[in-house]
Amino acid sequence: MIRKASCCRFTSEGIFVNGEKRFTLNHFEEELTEVYRQLSVEYPKFYKMDLMSKVSFLGVELLKGVDSELALHREDEEVGLLFANSESSSQTDLRFEESYTRDGLPSPSLFVYTLPNIAMGEIAIRNKWYGAHMFSVFPNFAAAYFADYGRLMLKDGAKRVVGGWVDVREQPDAAFFVLDSSLLENREEALQVLNQVYSNH
Amino acid sequence: MAAEVYVTGMGILSAIGNGVEENLYALLHKQPGISEIQMGKKRVKAGRIPLSDTELIKLLDVKQTPVSRTSLLGMAAAREAWGDNRLSPQLRTGLISATSVGGMDLTETFYADYLAKRPADFDVLVCHDSGTSAEHIAGYLGITGYINTLSTACSSGANAIMLGARLIQSGRLDRVLVGGTDALTQFTVQGFGSLMIYDSEWTRPFDDTRAGLNLGEGAAFLLLESQRSLEWSGNQPIGRVGGWGNSADAYHQTASSPDGKGAVLAMREALGSLSPADISYINAHGTGTPNNDGSESAALISVFGDTLPPFSSTKAYTGHTLAAAGAIEAVFSLLAIREGKVWPNLNFSNVIPDTGLVPVTEPESREVNAVLSNSFGFGGNNSSLVFTR
Amino acid sequence: MASAALKEQLKKQIIEQLNLEEVKVEDIEDSAPLFGEGGAGLDSIDALELIVLLEKHYQLNVTNPEEGKQVFYSIDTMADYIEKHKA
Repeated sequence: MIRKASCCRFTSEGIFVNGEKRFTLNHFEEELTEVYRQLSVEYPKFYKMDLMSKVSFLGVELLKGVDSELALHREDEEVGLLFANSESSSQTDLRFEESYTRDGLPSPSLFVYTLPNIAMGEIAIRNKWYGAHMFSVFPNFAAAYFADYGRLMLKDGAKRVVGGWVDVREQPDAAFFVLDSSLLENREEALQVLNQVYSNH
Repeated sequence: MAAEVYVTGMGILSAIGNGVEENLYALLHKQPGISEIQMGKKRVKAGRIPLSDTELIKLLDVKQTPVSRTSLLGMAAAREAWGDNRLSPQLRTGLISATSVGGMDLTETFYADYLAKRPADFDVLVCHDSGTSAEHIAGYLGITGYINTLSTACSSGANAIMLGARLIQSGRLDRVLVGGTDALTQFTVQGFGSLMIYDSEWTRPFDDTRAGLNLGEGAAFLLLESQRSLEWSGNQPIGRVGGWGNSADAYHQTASSPDGKGAVLAMREALGSLSPADISYINAHGTGTPNNDGSESAALISVFGDTLPPFSSTKAYTGHTLAAAGAIEAVFSLLAIREGKVWPNLNFSNVIPDTGLVPVTEPESREVNAVLSNSFGFGGNNSSLVFTR
Repeated sequence: MASAALKEQLKKQIIEQLNLEEVKVEDIEDSAPLFGEGGAGLDSIDALELIVLLEKHYQLNVTNPEEGKQVFYSIDTMADYIEKHKA
């Protein structure tokens, strides 16, 4: 029996949590603010984040809403973050570059986000999760990366690993999911579950 | 018992030398590579490599252009680390490369041309993606199979080594080239400038009067092998990757927490079953910023207490080479073991009163059996590695 | 003493530049500390953005974070600085 993973998926159609549509997305960036407000999160730093960090932040907040085990962890080293995408931080990179080439004023708040791992940093700061982080760049969603490296992180002390694939150009293409030991026990099954999480939309 | 991870090859290109022996010479003779450079509208002190892209292309006999400077630096270092090794269907070989700037140097030229309405080479945009430099480097050496690009800011190089070691230990790969590369670009020079994090003078890690960092560029790679791979290749190990740790500081996007919590966790994890007293030398992250060096000092004291081994930052030699730093400093750590030397923390004069820590200030001969190397990145990504004989 | 109009303008610019979406002009007191707990809760990156703001809107150049600490203490100190250094 194939285990299901708690998951949250962002596509051009909207935001889906465990397969059910929770929000529609038409104009993406503006609507994320609406999603944030509806979740009643009370975290004003959200407004300063770049798109990649906002999507990641909301994805994990939604995961916590459906994965009670994950929500229990606070102030500990037991949650690892394992993220990847195809474009690194290029959307923000280009915005930062404009700030000094076009405007002559390099923006420090944009520069901060010109590293793809900052999104994980924001999640760690929010939840006080001190576990391990890793970010890789792949041309396409790589289920094997999450299955294999997730397994290593769990072996080395994490109780849960939050996986994230975060592409945010004009249309969002992101998936967040919770990995634990039982899910990753059988590699073939794990790959199937992960590919399903990503492609079922 | 956990499988051993052997280091059998090293390659490096930095502001203090092209290749391992040149870097070693500079370390021994206290020859820093920091100079004043002009990058667009900004003048800063930085560790620039005195080889142009054209010279690198010629030196490396690179056929496929356009190619970014980041890739070129990586190719040079990876080629040295790979040495005379041959590919074989018997061994699963991989490449893990880390970068923060990727092909940005070429993209900058593209956009300048594009905005000025000069003919712009759209092929150049293919190079922008961080992933391409790993592919270029792998392609250059003929490595197919597992190729991975990491991007976790200033801890990237260390994380590449850690990922490679874990893949070998878990039996997924037999051998792997691991390292990092970053070239100086307007993007990074402007970016760090906007954070007001530079020292306009030569950087002074761990000094009470320190004012900031100097950037640097460079690349370094290690060849890691499993026992099985070692038996096949017959290579002599230079050392081993003895331990690793990665933790989050969970404090701020660019600043480290005052007590260095993330750093403490990473170092303790890397030590594993070793005791602090087993460490012969610590190569610190030591960027020379008021924030990092204060935080790292607190973390070192937490972990090592009264028995702090000789320690130093080598960033006054090379500058802060971002994603390459963890890998460049891995080479310096392995050289410490090989040569029986600890490297000096250049430009140090004034002890920080709150910590009282005094780094090594001259190259000293010592018995070096185990080295701890720290790399802490923006986003609170903290990594530590332990190298042993 | 800097004008109320300048202070109001400054508050609007700060809210925009620093993405303080949930903060309204009325919420920011003229003399309250901008940084740290209690005030507008700004942090070190915000301090750097304020330096950019002064350059962008007032062509004034704060060259180091230490100088910044004094200038950016509150709306009052910022407005006084601008008045003092305008041509």
